[in-house]
Amino acid sequence: MTALRLAWRQARGARRHFFVFFACVVLGVAALVSVGSFGATLNRTLAREAKGLLGGDVELRAARPLPEDVEREIAALVGPGAMVVQVRELVGMARGLDNGRSLLVELKAVGREYPLYGRLATTPAEPLAALLADHGAVVQREALERLGLRVGDRLALGTLILTVRGVVDIEPDRSASLVRLGPRMFVAPEALEQSGLLQLGSRVRYRTLVKLPPAQPARGLSEALARRISDPGIRVSSFDEAQPGLRRFFTQLTSYLGLVGLASLLVGGIGVASSVSAFVRRQQPTIAILKSLGATSRTIVTMFLVQTQVVGVAGSLVGAAFGVALQPLLITALAGFVPFTLEPRADAPTVARGVIMGSLTTLLCVLWPLLDVREVRAALVLRRDVEAAAPDVHRRPWVAALPIAAGLAALALWQAGSFKIGGIFVGASVGAVLGLWAVARGLVVLARRLPRPPSPAWQHGLGALRRPGGQAARVVIALGAGVMLLVAVALLQQSLDAQIDHEQRRQAPSFFFLDVQPDQRDAFAQLVRQRTGGTAPTLTPIVRSRLAAIDGEPVTRAMVQARGGEARETAFYYTREYVLTWAAEPPAGNTITRGHWWNGEPGPPRVSVEEVMARQLGVDIGSRLTFDVQGVPLEAEVTSLRKVDWQSLTTNFFVVFSPGALDGAPTTYVAAARTPAVTEATLQSAVVSAFPNVTAIPVRDVLERVGVVLANIAVAIRVIALFTVGTGLVVMAGALASTRYQRLYESVVLRTLGATRGAVARAFAVEYGCLGAAAGVGGTALAAVLAWVVLRFVLETPWRFEPMAMLAGVVLTVALSMAVGFLTTFRLLGAKPLPVLRRE
Amino acid sequence: MMVSIVGLTMRLTSGGRPLTILDGITLDIARGDAVAVIGPSGSGKSTLLGLIAGLDAPTAGTITVGGVDITRLGESALARFRRETIGYVFQSYHLIPTLTAAENVAVPLELAGERRVSARARVLLEQVGLRDRGDHYPVQLSGGEQQRVALARAVALEPPLLLADEPTGNLDSATGAAIIELLFALNRERGSTLVLVTHDPALAERADRVVALRDGRVVGDRRREPALTS
Repeated sequence: MTALRLAWRQARGARRHFFVFFACVVLGVAALVSVGSFGATLNRTLAREAKGLLGGDVELRAARPLPEDVEREIAALVGPGAMVVQVRELVGMARGLDNGRSLLVELKAVGREYPLYGRLATTPAEPLAALLADHGAVVQREALERLGLRVGDRLALGTLILTVRGVVDIEPDRSASLVRLGPRMFVAPEALEQSGLLQLGSRVRYRTLVKLPPAQPARGLSEALARRISDPGIRVSSFDEAQPGLRRFFTQLTSYLGLVGLASLLVGGIGVASSVSAFVRRQQPTIAILKSLGATSRTIVTMFLVQTQVVGVAGSLVGAAFGVALQPLLITALAGFVPFTLEPRADAPTVARGVIMGSLTTLLCVLWPLLDVREVRAALVLRRDVEAAAPDVHRRPWVAALPIAAGLAALALWQAGSFKIGGIFVGASVGAVLGLWAVARGLVVLARRLPRPPSPAWQHGLGALRRPGGQAARVVIALGAGVMLLVAVALLQQSLDAQIDHEQRRQAPSFFFLDVQPDQRDAFAQLVRQRTGGTAPTLTPIVRSRLAAIDGEPVTRAMVQARGGEARETAFYYTREYVLTWAAEPPAGNTITRGHWWNGEPGPPRVSVEEVMARQLGVDIGSRLTFDVQGVPLEAEVTSLRKVDWQSLTTNFFVVFSPGALDGAPTTYVAAARTPAVTEATLQSAVVSAFPNVTAIPVRDVLERVGVVLANIAVAIRVIALFTVGTGLVVMAGALASTRYQRLYESVVLRTLGATRGAVARAFAVEYGCLGAAAGVGGTALAAVLAWVVLRFVLETPWRFEPMAMLAGVVLTVALSMAVGFLTTFRLLGAKPLPVLRRE
Repeated sequence: MMVSIVGLTMRLTSGGRPLTILDGITLDIARGDAVAVIGPSGSGKSTLLGLIAGLDAPTAGTITVGGVDITRLGESALARFRRETIGYVFQSYHLIPTLTAAENVAVPLELAGERRVSARARVLLEQVGLRDRGDHYPVQLSGGEQQRVALARAVALEPPLLLADEPTGNLDSATGAAIIELLFALNRERGSTLVLVTHDPALAERADRVVALRDGRVVGDRRREPALTS
């Protein structure tokens, strides 16, 4: 109670000292809350739109049409009043009839009842079935723009001529993959069948959507269906499990963004600790007086704790409001790959969590400097210049730092939501702080060891770096952390961009052509050879299949679950569609890691399996894999395992058969062709006109789409990382302000001795420039390490040295720190010497 | 005995060189006495006073105040001891700059967990003649006014031992005289023990007993002649 009253009174003198403190908490909490609110908005929208996103209460999804017995199961299980609609999706080429332009589109043929949930918006606003009737097509506006068509124009799809009857504006269940191959095109089911695109070997996704009467639970039906349908290749999901990939992507994105936000809160913690430490130093006389009047250290510490917590909570609340207000910005930045509209709204748990994080971080960060209160001796009221002969017990109780560090680590784990990621974050933070601290120490040692520079500005500037009170470490750590995050994002983005670019330049094909039929093979090769100036395309035979059995044990839903296929990654290897090929030689860029290649030895069917697939399926040399090729089982022995470079833009295969083993299976060809950028459009049009069933995947276009997604992610991370840099600058401003009186005194003494204002300003510039250079070099070096680790271990992409980005990191930091330094101290230059000296 | 000091020694370092401030002082102060400690600058007067208040720990020796050996007390116990036993007046006042006059006076009352703190602070300020200055901050007060606030603060909890360290050292003589009147008056009214450090002989003459220090040793100790007071 006493401490509360004292705190209230005392706070009057503390207010202006706590501005930096307050700003640090505001920025840190704003970063956390803006990320958290964004995550909450996403989750809320995903939950609300779940049925629309899935397209029904329950979805069955397969690479082949559902067998009749499955259709009967569905009919038997759904109650009266349920609705079922069939949807087929595939990619194909649309071609303008008059201008000859062609475009890869994502086709969708839907039954009459589509959509079961959500709203399909078209222009004109007529029922979809009516627009599609009589060879109609409804496309996304992008398709019209790229094909140079208007509503009412005709286009060719496969062997069919369609009329564009409208534009689709909103499609509720547009599959939310991050990168799309092309714009959407709706056609009627009959039209798709007549188009000639549904040939053997075409890649079609068959979806059956079910809308249940309100009383029937979706989970019950999906579980019952999963029990009855043993083929794990038919994926059954209810609406609350919809879009697992999208959910996982956003969960991970918000989790990583949250860590960047946490970094800014922790940098803010440095600011909090350093401003409280400066505050306690300045309050020493008052502390001594209070002690001489009979206040215990505990009372005084409690008093300061109350004061700082009030500032911490207030800063957290303002920060939370700021974070919520920032929602529209973050949503705009990420709108690119969110397949639905997000409404910014404050989320109470997120705000509460942000405020708790801010307050607890404040509490933990002020404890350490407040311990100094115990060291202030009441005897200070008696004398200032004489120290006690007894060894001053000014030893920091390092043991007290342990619970503080543990508390901060616990907060990091809480924010990360996982021991592993939280642990990595804590480890990386400790490493970064130690690294930056070492750089700051190096700077101070260098300033001390360097021979006396001839220029007075350098003498005084370097001298200031050695100033007692150790602001160098604080500034370099706080600023360096922000620089590290920003530069790391830039380096990552550049390395990934370069990766995309590099492959485009060197050996990447311009196109992949899919679904070349055996009878088109020679004509196709000839056409491409003519159009590209003599280079023949590489044609690779492929056979579509699914995994039917491993060592004779049929792959069923129960078998997949029993083998640990609960994890999505593992289940994928059992249930995915396998594209098979055969080859006499190992594919280029593949290395045999176990067993040996067949090298022309005759024998029964043998396969070479990609090593990750082998590990996931638990197969090894000697295992027998059975593939189901259009209903025909084909068994082969595993004789080798391969390592595949998936980053290379060539046709890569999980499974390669020995020659002859796939003879007679329905085969299509995949072709890769290279052509100069300017002739890409004409080559595509020529191929599509001659072979309407062939699908051309323009590699450049797809890579550009990937680049856009990466750029969007980078923007989001940058927005949050900017908070860290902002907090770092505030910490720097605070650190410089805390030496304001000393600086003022020094500058007037220098001026009394005849130095001009310019000379004093130059000395300041040297000091701020050196601090900025240390933070820039340290932060950029750590950024390079961080980027290398992420590229090497997470993205498995080669690291590239990016001198320009790194140089920019250093130069901008120097410029920024000089700017902030001058903004903080330029008024000192104008002070009249005499009043200052008199005050001293 | 109010204060009993045995073999009190204090050594400090100044500019890296050892310095003996107090050198084996032994001294008793009776309850209710008003004692003046005199001596030239650096003779150890202020240090002696600070040690009696438990503001610092001596190098050797014991100090017993009110029957308690304060050299054996820990930090928290010392704070409680100061709160309950000592009123201290400093040469440079040592008011808290961010608090008003009334709030400064209220600090010891609040530390002791007293009730009606502001009203009592006002009464105390009235006793030192500063009824209308309660809402002023220290910088808005003259030196004499500041010392009166400090005096009001020192006697707020009616401590049995009042220590004053050159209370008039920073004041002109007229203001100083007024402060001294007040100091003795407050001491008389409350019947407390007063230890006053000064190098003003006139001021010392008003005490019941004068102890002279030089180089950290007691070089004179005399009781004022009762005849002179009557």
